[in-house]
Amino acid sequence: MEQFFSQNAIYIVLIIVLLVWFGIFGFLFSLDKRLKAIENDTKGVKK
Amino acid sequence: MAWKVFLFVLMTLVCIAGITFPIVREPVTWYDFPLIPGLEENAKIIFFHVPTAWLATIAFLMATLYSIKYLRKKDLDDDVKAYTAAQIGMIFCVLATVTGSVWAKFAWGSFWNWDPRETSIFALLLIYGALFALRSAVDGDEKRATLSSVYSIIAFVTVPFFIFIMPRIMKGLHPGSADDTNAGPVVDFKMNQNMQVVFYLSLIAFTILYFWMWNVGYRSQIIKDKLQKQIN
Repeated sequence: MEQFFSQNAIYIVLIIVLLVWFGIFGFLFSLDKRLKAIENDTKGVKK
Repeated sequence: MAWKVFLFVLMTLVCIAGITFPIVREPVTWYDFPLIPGLEENAKIIFFHVPTAWLATIAFLMATLYSIKYLRKKDLDDDVKAYTAAQIGMIFCVLATVTGSVWAKFAWGSFWNWDPRETSIFALLLIYGALFALRSAVDGDEKRATLSSVYSIIAFVTVPFFIFIMPRIMKGLHPGSADDTNAGPVVDFKMNQNMQVVFYLSLIAFTILYFWMWNVGYRSQIIKDKLQKQIN
C-alpha cells in the first residue's frame, strides 16, 4: 500500500487538485444560481 | 452557461495535463515536457504559480479602472466593483506568494530568503493591505469610496514596478532576473510547444475564473447594500 502511494504520488496530487477544483466550481455555480434568484426577487419588490 | 462548461472542462484539462505529463530529458511524444535545468520536476508548478500572479495584476488593474470610473461618475456600484476586484487581487497575490514560497523551498532551498521578487510581492501585499485598512477606517459611503478610489489609483502606479521592472533589473534567483542565464522574459524560457500550450490554456482558464469570481462577488455585495438600505 505504502509503495503504491509513493510510486503514484503525482496521481494522488492530481486527485486532490481535481477535488479542490470541483469544490470551487460547484460552490461558485450554486452561489451564482442563488444570487440570480435573489436578484429576481428584489427586482419584483422594488417595482 | 456555455462558458461555465467551457471553463470547467478547460481547467480540468489543465490540471490533468499540468500535473501528470512527464518531464523528460529528450521530449519524444506530444505530451512530454522538456527538462528545464535547475527546475526539474518543480517546473510543473508554473501552470499554477504564474496564473495566480497574473490574476493579481489583472484584478488590481480592474480595481483601478473602476476606481477611475467611480471618480468620474460617482456611482457607488463602481466602487463596489473596484473593491471586490481589489479583494480578489489580494487573494491571488497571497496565493502567488504561497505557491512561490513552496516552489522556492524546493528550487532554492528555503521558503523565504528576501529575493528581489519575494521582497517586491511583499511590498505589494503591504500596499494593498493598507487599502482595506483605509476602507474599514472611514465612515460614510461616499467618503470611503472617494478615498479608496484615489488610494487604489496611486497604489496601482507601483504595480508595474514591483511586478515587471524591479525584479528584472536586480540580480536574483527568480527566472527573468538580471543575471538569469535562461535569458528573456519568464514565459519563453526553455518551454517547448506543448508546455506553452498548457501554460497559455492555464492563463485563459484562470482569467475566466477570475471574471466569474469577480462577477459573483460584486453582485452579492450590491444586493447586500441594496437590502441593507431597504431595512434601514
